[in-house]
Amino acid sequence: MKEREKDRDPVRELPKAKQIWRRREFLELLSWGLAACVGTRRSRAGFQSSPVFLFREVAEQTGLKFHHFTGATGEYYMPEIMGAGVALFDFDNDGDLDVYLVQGTVFDPTRDPRLAKFPPPAGWKPGNRLFRNLLSETGKLQFVDVTEKAGVGHIGHGMGVAVGDYDNDGFQDLYVTNFGHNVLYHNNGDGTFTDVTVQAGVDDLRWSTSAAWVDFDRDGHLDLFVANYLDFNVKANKRCYASTGERDYCTPKMYQPVPARLFRNRGDGTFEDVSEAAGIGAAVGPGLGVVCADFNGDGWPDIYVANDGAAAHLWINQGNATFKETSLPSGTAYNAEGMSQAGMGVAAGDFDNDGDEDIVKTNLTKEGCNLYVNDGRGNFYDAAAEYGLLLPTFPYTGFGVEWFDYDNDGRLDLFIANGAVNRMESLPASPYPFNQPNQLFHNEVVGKKFRDMTEIAGPAFAISEISRGAAFGDINNDGAIDVVIANNNGPARLLLNQTHSINHNHWLLVRLDGGSGNRFGMGAKVEVRRRGQKLTRRAHTDSSYLSANDVRVHFGLGEDAQIECLTVYWPNGSAEAWDKIQADQIVTIRHGTGRRILGGG
Amino acid sequence: MRKTRCFIFLGALIFMCYSVGAQPQSIPELPRSTLDNFSPGIRDQIQVAYAAARGHVNDSDASGRLGMILHTYGLFPSAALFYERAARLAPSAFRWAYYLGVVEAAQGYCDKAASTLRTAMRLDPNYVPAQLQLANCLLTSADWDGSEEIYAAIIKLHPDNADAYYGLGRARAARHDFAGAAEAYSKACALFPEFGPAHYALALVDRALDQGGQADEQLRLYERNRDRFPPSGDPLLDQVRALNRSATYQMQIGIELEKQGKLEDSVTAHEKALEINPQLVQAHVKLVELYGRLGEFERAEEHYRAASQLDPGSAENYYDYGVLLLSAERYQEAESAFRKTLEIDPFQADAHNNLGFLLERQGRLLDAMTEYRRAIENRPYDRQAHFNLGRVLVNLERYQEGIQELEKTIGREDENTPRYIYALGAAFARSGDRENGLRYIHKAREGALTLGQSGLVDSIDRDLRTLEVPRAPQ
Repeated sequence: MKEREKDRDPVRELPKAKQIWRRREFLELLSWGLAACVGTRRSRAGFQSSPVFLFREVAEQTGLKFHHFTGATGEYYMPEIMGAGVALFDFDNDGDLDVYLVQGTVFDPTRDPRLAKFPPPAGWKPGNRLFRNLLSETGKLQFVDVTEKAGVGHIGHGMGVAVGDYDNDGFQDLYVTNFGHNVLYHNNGDGTFTDVTVQAGVDDLRWSTSAAWVDFDRDGHLDLFVANYLDFNVKANKRCYASTGERDYCTPKMYQPVPARLFRNRGDGTFEDVSEAAGIGAAVGPGLGVVCADFNGDGWPDIYVANDGAAAHLWINQGNATFKETSLPSGTAYNAEGMSQAGMGVAAGDFDNDGDEDIVKTNLTKEGCNLYVNDGRGNFYDAAAEYGLLLPTFPYTGFGVEWFDYDNDGRLDLFIANGAVNRMESLPASPYPFNQPNQLFHNEVVGKKFRDMTEIAGPAFAISEISRGAAFGDINNDGAIDVVIANNNGPARLLLNQTHSINHNHWLLVRLDGGSGNRFGMGAKVEVRRRGQKLTRRAHTDSSYLSANDVRVHFGLGEDAQIECLTVYWPNGSAEAWDKIQADQIVTIRHGTGRRILGGG
Repeated sequence: MRKTRCFIFLGALIFMCYSVGAQPQSIPELPRSTLDNFSPGIRDQIQVAYAAARGHVNDSDASGRLGMILHTYGLFPSAALFYERAARLAPSAFRWAYYLGVVEAAQGYCDKAASTLRTAMRLDPNYVPAQLQLANCLLTSADWDGSEEIYAAIIKLHPDNADAYYGLGRARAARHDFAGAAEAYSKACALFPEFGPAHYALALVDRALDQGGQADEQLRLYERNRDRFPPSGDPLLDQVRALNRSATYQMQIGIELEKQGKLEDSVTAHEKALEINPQLVQAHVKLVELYGRLGEFERAEEHYRAASQLDPGSAENYYDYGVLLLSAERYQEAESAFRKTLEIDPFQADAHNNLGFLLERQGRLLDAMTEYRRAIENRPYDRQAHFNLGRVLVNLERYQEGIQELEKTIGREDENTPRYIYALGAAFARSGDRENGLRYIHKAREGALTLGQSGLVDSIDRDLRTLEVPRAPQ
C-alpha cells in the first residue's frame, strides 16, 4: 500500500527542502514528456490530458491581433530592422493590464504601404495600437482595439514606449519614441489620451530608442531619460555589405552616435532639458536599452544604458542633480575580456537574492550576453560564463530581456527575445533572413548555472521570429508573469504563463500607491521576508528593449503561503513595513499606512 | 541568366548531396545559398573551389581549401562541413581538425570544438594556437580547472606567451582567486605592454583586491591600448585570412592601418577595395580624407567626385570634402560643402563646428555661435565647440558666459589641456579677474612644462610678464 502511494505521488515522502527540487524535476520531466507530443492528446488510464507547457501563445485567440510593419523598401534603412516595442500597463485602472504596441511606417509618406517590400496583412491598420484587456469586466482574457477612441495611434517610425504617471494623477501616461519626433501622451483618466509633447517640452527629433521614467532628483515627480541611437537619416543612408558582398544592414559604426536626453519634470506638466547640466552629455553612445535602479545602494536612482557596439554607460546619481559616468571602473562597460559589445536590451534585478541589483545585457550573435554581478557597492564582474549564460546566448542576437520569476520559486529567471540584425547564413533563401528563437532560462540553485528551458518551454518557444521588444507582467492576474513579444515584421505574441497548472507555488503581486508624489512608487525597493530570508525587488516599468513592463511588483514565494513582513523603501527615502501578508493575492500598499522604519534611505 | 546558372549550380549541389547520401565520397551540401548575390569575385572563388572538391572527391586538400574559403567569409556552418570532410579524408592531417575546431568554437559549440581540438592536438601537440583555442573554449564553458591546466602547460613550454598568461588570469579570476589572477595578468602585461584586455582584466582584479590606485592606472593603460593584442602567431589562420577577396575586408585592413598611422598603406588597402568593388562609396569617402591628410588634393577630389556620383546623399563625403577645402583655404567652397552636409545630416556636430568657424572668420559672430551651439547639442562633450563658443563670447565681452563655456574644456587631461587652461586664464584676465587669470595661466604653464610644450610656455611667459607688472595705485 505504501509502495503504491509512493508511486502515485513521488514527492510526498521527501523532506520539505527536497520536495521543492523534486517538484521542479517533476515539472521538467512532465514538460519533456509533453514536448514529444505537441499538438496531440494522449489518453491514459481513462483520462485525456492536454499538453501542458510552461507558456502558451494566445495572442490571436485573445484578440491581440497586431502585425509589425517595417516599411522596408529594399534600401536597408537601419530603423527598419530595429523596432519595435510594447508596453503592458493598466491605462484605465480597471485592475488588468492593457497592451500598447508600437508600429512602423513607410519612409516615403507618399508611398502606399501595400507596395512595400513586405506589405502588411489584409485588415492591417496603420499606427501604434492600444488593446484594452476585458478581463476585469468579463472574467475572460480578451482584448479589444481601442486606439481610435483613446487617441494614441501615432503614425511614425515607431521604436519604443515608456510608461509612467508623470503628473501624479493616478493614471499612467505614455512616452513614445520614434525615428523622428517623439510623442508624450497624457492619460486623461477617461479612456482617452492627449498629445502634450510640445507643451511638455519633451520632443526629440533624433532617433530615439528606449526611454525610462525615473525620479532622479527624488522630488516626487517622474523625470524622463531618453536614449538616442545614431545620426542615421534616410537621405544619408549608406550602402553596407555582408562579408560575401551581399547588401545588408549597416553596423552602428557606420554612423555617429547621438546624445541621450534627460528631462527634469518641473511638476507643472512641463519639463526642462537638463542633459548638459546633469552631466548626461559627458559621454555619448549609440543607446538602445535603458534601465534605472540604485546600483550602488546609496538610495539614489542610477541609469544604465546599453550602447550598440560601444562601451555601455553607467550613470551614477551624485545626489545633487548630476550624474557621473562610471561604467569603466564599475566593470559594466565591456565584457570580461574588455571588449565592447553590441548592447541591445538590459534588465536589472537581484537574481542571486543578495539584496543588490545585478545587470543582464543582451548582445549580438557571437558575443553572448553579459551578466554583471553586483558586489553591493556598484562594482560588477561579468559572470555570464560562470552562470552558464554565455554559450547558450552566443548564437543569437538578443533584444528584449527581463529578470522574472516565471515559476514562482523565489528566484529570478530570465527571458531573452532574439532576432538577428544581419543576414544569417542559415537562412539564405529567406527574403528577410533574421529569424531566431527566443530563450527561457531557469535560475537553479544547484551548481549555480542557469538551465536553458527553451527546448521544453513549449511550442511558443519553437517559433523562430525576429523578436525585439518584450514586456512582462501578470496579464490575467493569476500570479504568474506573462510575456508579450513585439516582433519585427511579424505578429505580436502573448506567452501566457501556464506554470501554475503544474506547480502550486505561492506568489504575491504588490501594487504601490505612493500617495501624492510618484503615485506608482516607481523606483521603490520592496522587500519580502519569509522564513528569515529576504527577497528584494524593484517597482519599475523600464528595462528590456524599447518596452515597458507591469509596474506591480511580483514575488514568487515557493511554498510560503504567508510572508512575515513586507517592507517598502519609498523613493523619497522613507521606509515602512507591513506584517503577515497572505500570499496569492494582489495587494495594494499605500504610502503612510505601514509601520515606519528608521533609516529608510 | 546568371541567376539561373547559380540556381542550376546549387541545384546540382543539392542533388548530388541527396543522391550520394552518406557515402564517404559525397560532397557535402552547400547551403541553398543565393550565391548570385555574392560579389562576383567571391562567387567565382567559391565555385572554382567547389568544382575542384567535386572533381577530386578523395582529395582532402580540395575539400579543405573550400572550407578555408567559406571560413574566411564567415560562412562557418558550411566551412565546418568541408573541414569535416577533409578531416575524414585525411585523418592524420592536423590542419583540417584544427580549422574545424576553430569554426565550431566560433559558432559557440564549445563542447564539439573542445573534442575536435583535442583530436587536433593529438596530431600536433606543439601547435600553441590550438592549445589556446581549446583553453579558451573550456574557459567559456566555465571549465576553470581544465582551461587553467592548459594555460599553465603552455606557459611551462612558452614562458613568453602573453596570451597564455592572460588566459590563466581569467581562469583564476573566474574562480575568485584574485591574487593569482593579478599575478598572471601582470605577467601578460609585462610580456606585451600594449595588451589592452589584460590591463582591463588586471584593473578589475586590482579593484577586487581593494587596490583602487592600481586599478585606475590599469584602466588608463587599457584606454590607451584598447584594441591592442599580442600578434596572433597563428600561421594557419593567416592562410585562411589571406584567401579573403572581399572589398569590405580590404577596407577593414585599411582602417586598421590608418589607426596605426600608416596612411599610405591605408590608401593602398582602400584602393584595393575599390578594385574589387568600384561601387563602394565608403572607400571613396575614406580616400577623400586619407588623400587630404597626405596633401594629395587632386586625388582626394577625384574620389570626392566619384563618391558624389555614386551616392549624392553621402553627408560624410561632403563633410570630408569640406575639410579638404578648408585645409586648402578655399573657404567659400568649404562653407558650401558643410552646408550641404548639414542639409543631409543636421546632427553632424563637426560640420556645425566647422561651419561656425567659417562664419566666425567672416565676422558673423552670432551665426557662428548658433552653429557652435548646435555642435554642442549634438555632442555635448565637444571640447572644440565649447572652446569656440567660449572664445566668441569672450570676444563679444560676454565674459561670464564665455568663461562658463571655457570651463567645460578643462575637465579632460591630455596634451591639449594646458592650451585650454591658458585660454580660460586669458578670459578671466580679460574680464578683469586678474587673480583667477593668473591662477589658471600659471596652471597652464605648469602643465605645458610637464608636457614639454616649449612654444606654449613661451607664449604664456609673455602674457605673464604683462599681467604680473605691478598695477599703478588707483
